[in-house]
Amino acid sequence: MMLEVKDLHVTVGGKKILKGLTLSMKAGEVHAIMGPNGSGKSTLSYVLAGREGYEVAGGSVTYDGHNLLPMKPEERAAKGVFLAMQYPVEIPGVTTLTFLKTALNAQRRARGESELDAMNVLKFVRQRATALQINEEMLKRALNVGFSGGEKKRLEILQMSLFEPRLAILDETDSGLDIDALKLVAEGVNTLRSPQRGMLVITHYQRLLNYIVPDRVHVLAEGRIVREGGKELALELEEKGYSEVLKVPA
Amino acid sequence: MSAALAPIEARRAEALDSFRVRGMPHRRFEHWRYSDLRAVLDAGQVAQAGTARWQISEIPDGVEMFDLSSGGAPEWVVKNLGNIGNRPTMEEASLAFADGGVALRVPRNRRIVEPVRLQISHAGNLRVLIVVEDGATVSLSELHTMDAGLVRNVGVEIALGEAAEFSHVRCAPPAPKSFNVEHIAVEAGRNARYTAHFGNFGSRLSRTELHILLGGEGSEAHLSGVTVLGAELHADVTSHIEHVAGKTLSTQLFKHVAGGRARAVYQGKITVREGANGSDSRQTAKALLMSQRAEADLKPELIIFADDVKCAHGAAVGDLDADSLFYMRSRGIPEREARRLLIHAFLEEAVAVIEDGALRDIVWRDVENALPRAMEAAK
Repeated sequence: MMLEVKDLHVTVGGKKILKGLTLSMKAGEVHAIMGPNGSGKSTLSYVLAGREGYEVAGGSVTYDGHNLLPMKPEERAAKGVFLAMQYPVEIPGVTTLTFLKTALNAQRRARGESELDAMNVLKFVRQRATALQINEEMLKRALNVGFSGGEKKRLEILQMSLFEPRLAILDETDSGLDIDALKLVAEGVNTLRSPQRGMLVITHYQRLLNYIVPDRVHVLAEGRIVREGGKELALELEEKGYSEVLKVPA
Repeated sequence: MSAALAPIEARRAEALDSFRVRGMPHRRFEHWRYSDLRAVLDAGQVAQAGTARWQISEIPDGVEMFDLSSGGAPEWVVKNLGNIGNRPTMEEASLAFADGGVALRVPRNRRIVEPVRLQISHAGNLRVLIVVEDGATVSLSELHTMDAGLVRNVGVEIALGEAAEFSHVRCAPPAPKSFNVEHIAVEAGRNARYTAHFGNFGSRLSRTELHILLGGEGSEAHLSGVTVLGAELHADVTSHIEHVAGKTLSTQLFKHVAGGRARAVYQGKITVREGANGSDSRQTAKALLMSQRAEADLKPELIIFADDVKCAHGAAVGDLDADSLFYMRSRGIPEREARRLLIHAFLEEAVAVIEDGALRDIVWRDVENALPRAMEAAK
């Protein structure tokens, strides 16, 4: 297994959010996590990426056979964990290209690889950016500042493409996107599907899963996975709604 | 010319008397409350500090220079030296005790492209006079180095004629063992423009005080600065801009980063005099505290006697944004480097306004040097 989450309990500010979440995923697979608002979807993504303030009260997370939980966010990134965020932050004063170069080289350094010079970074970024319709002008702007919702999400996918993670977590990547932007982002994600890579696609709506077809669907409710199934489970949720589906005993 | 020297000598004698009566500024003076100079330094130490040294490696063509330690001051020096602004007590001291300094004049309509590079070193009092005549333009970098000396007290006077433009960058690297006081008095004529940036890296006590008189209609002052401090360093920037004439404009943007037990102070006072209609003043001061023991004091103050004016001010003290920090770390950037990048980003807009690329680089270099200490928690 690439990722194994066992009986995970997480509290945030004293409040129990995840209450015994269990989930596993093999390399090469794409899993969807669906759930209503407040079910713990974003908490799961933050815990996997190592955000402070999310207290693990019990359970374990194993990534490629290693205990993921004691690692700092930057160590996880260097080991191939990537979180595409629901709300990418705006950072005035740091250009997008500078940020990408710094992140790319920090990960390379942590893995004992040689750093790329400015020219090679630019070449690499340009090559990957074109497919996502990210132009040079966007790269020169301050990170995410003044970007539209679609541009922000495309930049998240560009980072995923540059960092080539082993485990990619996409947190509500579809939120705030119109249909054209959604297709573009989904295409970007699909080209990154590979036998070495696992993807966890977190979403509220089934819509995204028309374009990124999952191998497996997990339904998260009240901090636990309550149902699992193939891609048809997403369609069932869309048709019946969460409340109806969650009544059915797992 | 000996008769012409008399006014300067008279002003110096007057300054000496005034300093003896008023003495050292201290915290009971409202605008010295965060920088209690008398508590750490007595008047005798200032009087006996001697004269600091200055150097200008190259005088650009068209700029006239006069060494204030030599005799036979020309008319423009006699007219202005010790005669600009309202001479607060430490300026009285520099006028009374400095046996030297430098005066620069840019004659009418001369536009000087190459910046004048003034270096100030050693302890002591010092006087600087800048006269930019009608329609003339010049820029000055004022770079300080401090060796073992105890106190440096500089009095700078700037007279700007009609439509004159003067841009000023002052950079003072850390001087943990000394006291640094500088008073800058500016008088701006009609449509004149004063632009200044201050890179403050702290001393045991560092005070940069500005008094700017926007006396000519349409005159402008644009101030910006960065303060980066660690350990027990202190830096105080105190400005007083007086909008005397109508349609005058002032902007201020100051960014401070303090770690360790450092203390960063910004006081910005704006006075809009009666009749200064159509005046516009904006000021922003922000501080990042990197340790529990660091302190930032930001104090905007507005005194308005005119009706048709715009005045805006904002001040904020905080920590680095947790969301931004996590975002960077989740992309593999180690915490320390992420913090450094975010501090850089915080300071960026205040440094970006420096037009001369070489001077901008000097400020960034000093920021980089000061950052490791500023990022430390209190010991």
